[in-house]
Amino acid sequence: MVLTSFVFLIFCVITIFIYYIVPKKLQWCILLISSIIFLFWNNFSISTVIQALIVLIPTYILGRLIDKNYNTEKAKKFLILGILIILAQLIYLKYTNLFLTTANHIFNLFNIEYKFNLIYRNSLIGISYYSLIMISYLVDIYRGTCKAQKNILKCALFMSYFPILTSGPFVRYDNMENQLYEKHKFNYKNLCNGLIRILWGMFKILVISERLGMIVNSIYGNLNEFNFIFIFMAAILFPIQLYTNFSGSIDVIMGTSEIIGIKLPENFSLPFFSRTLAEFWRNWHITLGAWLRDYIFYPLQKSNVMQNLNKKCKNIFGKKIARKISMYLSMIIMWTLIGIWHGGAYTYIIGSGLLQFLFIFLEDILGPTSKKINNKLGINTEVFSYKLYQVIRTYLLFSFAMIFFKANSVTNAIDIIRGIFTISFSSLFSKERIYAMINNIGLDMFDFIILVVALIVLFGIQLLARKGKIREKLFNQNIVFRWVVIYTLIFGVIIFGCYGAGYNPTAFIYRQF
Amino acid sequence: MKKNIIKSIVFIFIFCAILFIITKILWLPPNAISYFYKEKENSLDVVYVGSSNVLAHFNTTLAYNLYGYTTGILSSNAQPFALIKYLLKEAEKYQNPNLYIVDITKITDDIDYFSTENIRECVDSMKFSRNRIEAINEALSYRKDVSKNEYINYYFSFLMYHNRWKYNPKTNIVGNKNFYKGYWFTKETCEVVPQNTYTWKKDLVPLQEDNKKILISLINYINQNNLKVLFVVPIRCYDEERNGRLNDAIRILQENELNVINFNTLNDFDDIDFSRDLYNEAHLNVYGATKYTLYFAKYLKENYELEDHRNDENYSSWNKEYERFKENFKKMVNKNYEELLQK
Repeated sequence: MVLTSFVFLIFCVITIFIYYIVPKKLQWCILLISSIIFLFWNNFSISTVIQALIVLIPTYILGRLIDKNYNTEKAKKFLILGILIILAQLIYLKYTNLFLTTANHIFNLFNIEYKFNLIYRNSLIGISYYSLIMISYLVDIYRGTCKAQKNILKCALFMSYFPILTSGPFVRYDNMENQLYEKHKFNYKNLCNGLIRILWGMFKILVISERLGMIVNSIYGNLNEFNFIFIFMAAILFPIQLYTNFSGSIDVIMGTSEIIGIKLPENFSLPFFSRTLAEFWRNWHITLGAWLRDYIFYPLQKSNVMQNLNKKCKNIFGKKIARKISMYLSMIIMWTLIGIWHGGAYTYIIGSGLLQFLFIFLEDILGPTSKKINNKLGINTEVFSYKLYQVIRTYLLFSFAMIFFKANSVTNAIDIIRGIFTISFSSLFSKERIYAMINNIGLDMFDFIILVVALIVLFGIQLLARKGKIREKLFNQNIVFRWVVIYTLIFGVIIFGCYGAGYNPTAFIYRQF
Repeated sequence: MKKNIIKSIVFIFIFCAILFIITKILWLPPNAISYFYKEKENSLDVVYVGSSNVLAHFNTTLAYNLYGYTTGILSSNAQPFALIKYLLKEAEKYQNPNLYIVDITKITDDIDYFSTENIRECVDSMKFSRNRIEAINEALSYRKDVSKNEYINYYFSFLMYHNRWKYNPKTNIVGNKNFYKGYWFTKETCEVVPQNTYTWKKDLVPLQEDNKKILISLINYINQNNLKVLFVVPIRCYDEERNGRLNDAIRILQENELNVINFNTLNDFDDIDFSRDLYNEAHLNVYGATKYTLYFAKYLKENYELEDHRNDENYSSWNKEYERFKENFKKMVNKNYEELLQK
């Protein structure tokens, strides 16, 4: 069930309607039933039911056992067992091909003729999300942050709450517990706020992201037909496509949940205004970053291995460098895991993992030198022009890494980079070539104009959002202005959105995770 | 709370109003089926259903002018035969005609012609109803390339047409002036494109299984609802296979005691001159259509009880349309239509 589809819209309307008319104590049951329908909408088979139960039943039982044996060695063993079960299923269903590809590469390296065939399995929608959510559930019980849920059906609802299954955000049990199971009264303001957020998400996805997707796919799909400027354009447009697609999905999810009365954590905070890549990642997929920080990075830093390493390094390099070494080591593990989480392919590991680490690492170690140079040259780093330079630099670095993320393979990514740096001035002056490239770009003039206008609207709204909450500002306006804005947005999406027959919508980029 | 409910109702009302206007502008240009709905309820004496032959062959305004009965057209290009049953149901909802005429040319085509365009041109002009949904379901059931998830694009046509803002929506606003009470008359239908004379063969080629199933289902529907239906095989060029299949269809219909009139084998209708009366191999031009209408309109009047409404003020729009047709005929051909009729 695609988030922008008519089916999802009807599904939400029915769910929300029933949710508010049933007795309040049954509201969570409606959410559970809807979530089960959502989970099995595309593929209801015994294997998918087993997949869901494999995570649910052990997590529920082990959660209770951890709780019962809180602060004992037993609890630790139950926790490890729980994490291993969840990870085993995740790895089996999602990452088998990563191992098989790696093995094939190794065989190739040693001239062994044997080759594993890649395996494509049907996995439950949102498996990458609910696996990590359930790990955090077990860890939080172990840490004493929350108590284990005694009702297995309530536990099932936490695991499968339908709005977050496709694209997140990652939620924590202690934040969700009360919200999910408590009684919710219908709230008109929530309804209006939620609908506007859904609408804004639809605008981002259907009006902007889908059109950008057409350009990016046309260019990346036919590299030989385009010159370096067009390939560069595709490279710098892809992050906006990804952002509008992903943050648009999150808007639809947050809006839906807001109408239900459940507030989810924000996942984006204007990332493209970030001045460093580290800052960028604090504003992009925030809940994933927080999850990795709390459940990977900090535990790694505190682990015996790291502590011992820290001690050894301290003796050799001193305290400051030793701390940096253990931090970078934890970071490299964390970034590799981010890459792996994004998909079982090297392109993801490089694009959303290792390259991001490399750039953040460089920013960190070159930061002091850069500061010194700026001081010596008398460059004012607090003026608009310098901030703009930093924002553009961050954007370009992210775009570069995203070439790998988008590419079909590492070789394909290298071809794209080669295409960008194969500067041919002759192609700039050949009218026929330029016309041919424009014709093949995937958008006609009308669509291109719509895209430019929509991007200006997006940029304007983002600028306004920096100064405060847009929806509140809108609700403070008088009714005529407010309604004109809302109708414009609604009909903008209805008329100019890329959906329905005649369009081949790009798959939700983050849905596959 | 009360204030919020009122606000919501007003908001939804304005939304629906804007959506209605936009839908009108962005929808498919009106076709014969759209004009069918514009006729007053229970005002049609005959309803003629079928593919494009119907549009181009039978001049409904001329039939009215000669005999005073009204004919509604439920036709679209390459209309999938499986949809005929649903169009009859649709006609039943709004009209109470004395006779249905069904063109059976398309029963011979391979099921491939159930293309998106051919299905959509017909169903997208039908009003939203359960009947329309059933029509879509049946037509798409013959399409192996369309998954059930995609049916929704057919149910809610706006999902298809919302991006028609790129095209000139003028026809949607001013109407399609080439329709005269369902009869299709344009510059193209005035053209004379000589064709080889086709002589009808008696050989029989079995209908394809799917088509046979569709035909039997239609026959059952007609019998169950006691509809008076006349099946028609129009005059045009054929190939021998289609000719043979039509013979099989005629056999099945006659075995079921249904009336069929084959214009290719009528002894008293040999007026069509293949070198002058067609604008392409499948369609009669305005000259051929006039001959066809003159014969067929008289045949219908003589064989069925059809009321004469020519003196009824309520039917004045039919006269107006005939006058408009004559005016445009004169503009396009530089001749008075009466001259053609006298010949």
